[in-house]
Amino acid sequence: MLDYVFFGGLVLYFLAMVLTFFGMVFKKEKISAFGWLLFLAGFALSTVYLVIRGIRAGRLPLSNQFEFAAAFSWGIAVMLIFLHYRYQAEWIDAAAIAMTFLILSYAALQPREITELMPALRSAWFGFHIGSAAFSYAAFILAGAAGVRYILTAKKNPEDERLETMDYFIYRLIAVGLLLLTITILSGAIWAEEAWSAFWTWDPKEVWALITWILYSVYLHLRLGRKKTGTFMAWYAVIAVPVVLFTFIGVNTLMPGLHSYGAVLRGILM
Amino acid sequence: MKKTLQFLRSMKFGVILLILIAVISAAGSLIPQNEAPMVYVRAYPQYYQMIFFLQLDHVFTSWYFIALTVMLCLNLTFCSLTRFGKIEKNTGSLKEKAFQVKAVSQLSSEETEYIRNYLEKKKYRKETRGDTTVYSGNEIGKYGTFLTHLGILLTVIFWSCAMYLPVVTDLTCMPQETVTMEDGMKIYVDSFAIEDETGKLDYSSVLKIILPDGKESELKRTSVNHPASFGPYKVYQQTYGTTGKLTVKDQKGNEDVFYPESKDFLSADGVNGIWYDDLYPGYIQDEDGHLTFITSTSGHYDDPVYVFDLVTDGQPERMLAFPGDTVESGEYTFIFEEPVEYPGLRVKKSPKMINALLLAGFLVMTFGLYITFFMPQVLVAVTPEGYTVLGSKPETMRMTLKEELRRRNRAGGK
Repeated sequence: MLDYVFFGGLVLYFLAMVLTFFGMVFKKEKISAFGWLLFLAGFALSTVYLVIRGIRAGRLPLSNQFEFAAAFSWGIAVMLIFLHYRYQAEWIDAAAIAMTFLILSYAALQPREITELMPALRSAWFGFHIGSAAFSYAAFILAGAAGVRYILTAKKNPEDERLETMDYFIYRLIAVGLLLLTITILSGAIWAEEAWSAFWTWDPKEVWALITWILYSVYLHLRLGRKKTGTFMAWYAVIAVPVVLFTFIGVNTLMPGLHSYGAVLRGILM
Repeated sequence: MKKTLQFLRSMKFGVILLILIAVISAAGSLIPQNEAPMVYVRAYPQYYQMIFFLQLDHVFTSWYFIALTVMLCLNLTFCSLTRFGKIEKNTGSLKEKAFQVKAVSQLSSEETEYIRNYLEKKKYRKETRGDTTVYSGNEIGKYGTFLTHLGILLTVIFWSCAMYLPVVTDLTCMPQETVTMEDGMKIYVDSFAIEDETGKLDYSSVLKIILPDGKESELKRTSVNHPASFGPYKVYQQTYGTTGKLTVKDQKGNEDVFYPESKDFLSADGVNGIWYDDLYPGYIQDEDGHLTFITSTSGHYDDPVYVFDLVTDGQPERMLAFPGDTVESGEYTFIFEEPVEYPGLRVKKSPKMINALLLAGFLVMTFGLYITFFMPQVLVAVTPEGYTVLGSKPETMRMTLKEELRRRNRAGGK
C-alpha cells in the first residue's frame, strides 16, 4: 500500500513536469496552473509517504540512499513551494519540478525496505547532519534550475526584466545552500569525532562535500567580490549541479568509505 | 613588497588556493591513499612512478598540500585584518554619505510612503536631516564577511591541531582484564556486550580508566557514538571480536586459561595435544555428512563450535567440540569454554582545549555566514524622490524593497 503512495507521487510529479514544460513553452498559463496543482498533489503524497515511513521505522527516514534521495526530492519541493508562493517565482517551476521528479526517480531505483538503524547512525546528530545536507543539496539544485531558466530567458530576450530577479535568486539559493552545507560539514565533523575519534578523515564523502563547499564559495566570491552576474554566473550554477549529484550519488556508489552505509565494513562498527 | 602583500591578501589569491585545494582533494579521493607501494604498482603499472613522485599516494599530507593550507591561512589572516580595518574606517562615514546621496530608485510619493512604512514596520533606526531620512539596522551584518573569514581561519588552524596533535592507540582487551598503555594509563574492561537489553545491535563496553598518576574513574559505559572520557583521554568503542576460550589443566591440578589463535599447538611434550584451528558461530551438515561452517557479521555466536586437531603421538585427527566439552590429550585436559566477546577500543589522548577552540571556530564561521547572508547591514536613505540603498551588502535590501513594491503593485497599489 505504501508503495502505491510513493509511486502515485512519482507519477504526479511526472505529469506535473510534462504539463509545466508545455505550459512554459507554449505560454499556456492554464496548463501550467494545472501542472502546478498536480505537483502539489504529488508533494502531498510524498509527504504522506515519508511521514508513514518515518512512523513505521521509528526514526527520521534518512538512513540510506533511498530515504536520502526521497528526502532530497522532498526538500526541493518544499523550497520550490516556498519560492512559488512567497516570491511568485513561477518561472522556476518547470525546471525545478523536473529536478524533483528526477531525484525521486533515482530514489525509486533504490531498495526500499525499511531497515533498522545501525549503531553508528544512532546519534543526536543524525537528523541534523543528514537533514541539513538534504536541504543544502536541494538549494543548489534549485539554483541550477534557476540558472537553466536564466540562460533560456536571456537567450530569448536579453532585456527581460525578470533576469535580475532570476540572477538574485540563484545567488540567494546558493547562499542558503552554502550555509546549510557548512552546517552539514561542521555537524558531521563533531559527529565523526564522537563516532570515529577524528573530526576529519579525508573520507571520499568528506572530500567531495569540501569540494562542493569550495565550488560554491568561489561562486559567492565571484558574485560578491567581483560583482559578476548574468549568464556566466547562471552557467556556473548549472555546471555545479553535476558536482552536487556526484557528491550525493557518485561518491556513495563509486567510492567506498566510511559513509558507505549500504556495505558491511569489516572491523569498523557501522 | 607592497605588491606581494597585496596579492597575498587578495581575493584572487584566495580563490586560486581554494581551487587548487579542491583539484588536489579530488585527485586524493580518486587514488587510494596511504596504501603499501605494491598496491600502486599493481593498480597503476604505467603511472605508479608519477604517483610516487607527485606524492599522490598521500596527497593530504604532501608538502604542497600543507603549503597550500599554510598559504590559505596567511591569505585569510591578511584578508581578515584588511576587512576589519575597512569596517572600522567606514563606520560613520557611510551614514554621512547616505544623507548626501540622491535617490537612485525614483518613486512616486505614494510608493515612497509605502517604502517608509515598510522600513518603519521593520523597526529600523530612523534619523532625519532635512528631507532625507536614513533607516539603519543590522549593524552586526557589516562584520559578517570578517567573522566568516576569521571563523574559517580558526577552523583550519584548530582542525589541523585536532588532526595531528592527539595520540591515538587501538587496542583489544578481554573482559575482566586490564591493559596498560605506553604512558602508564590503564583501562580495565568490566564487560562487553554486542546487543542491548532489548536484543538490538549495540556494541558497548563497561570500563574503568586509570590515569598514569593512579587516579581512576568510576565504571563508565562506552558505545558507538558515545565515547567515555576521563582526564585527557577518550575511549571509543571501535571494533569487536569473538574468540574461543580454553581452560587447560595438568595432572598436578594446575590450570590456566587460553584465548587460542588459529594454528596454536597446545602440548606438553610436542607430540600429544591439540592443534587449534578456529571457532565458528555454527555449522550446517548435509545428507552426506559434509560440514559447512557459517560465519557471523554481527559478532554474536549463537551456536558456537570449535574445530581442532587432536594430536596423539604426532598423528592429527580432526574434531569438533562444543562449549562445555572436555578433551584429554597427553598430560593435559582441555576444557572448551563459552566463547568470549571482546571489544576493540580506540584511546585518544588530546588536550581538551583544542576541541573547545575548534568548536569556537565552527560557531564563529557559521554565525559569520548567517549574518553575511541573512542579516546584512541595512542603510536606506529615503527622500521625497525615492530611495537609495547603501551598506556593506546592499543587494539584498535593494531586491527586498523592489519585491515589496511589486507586491504593492500586484495588490492594486495598496
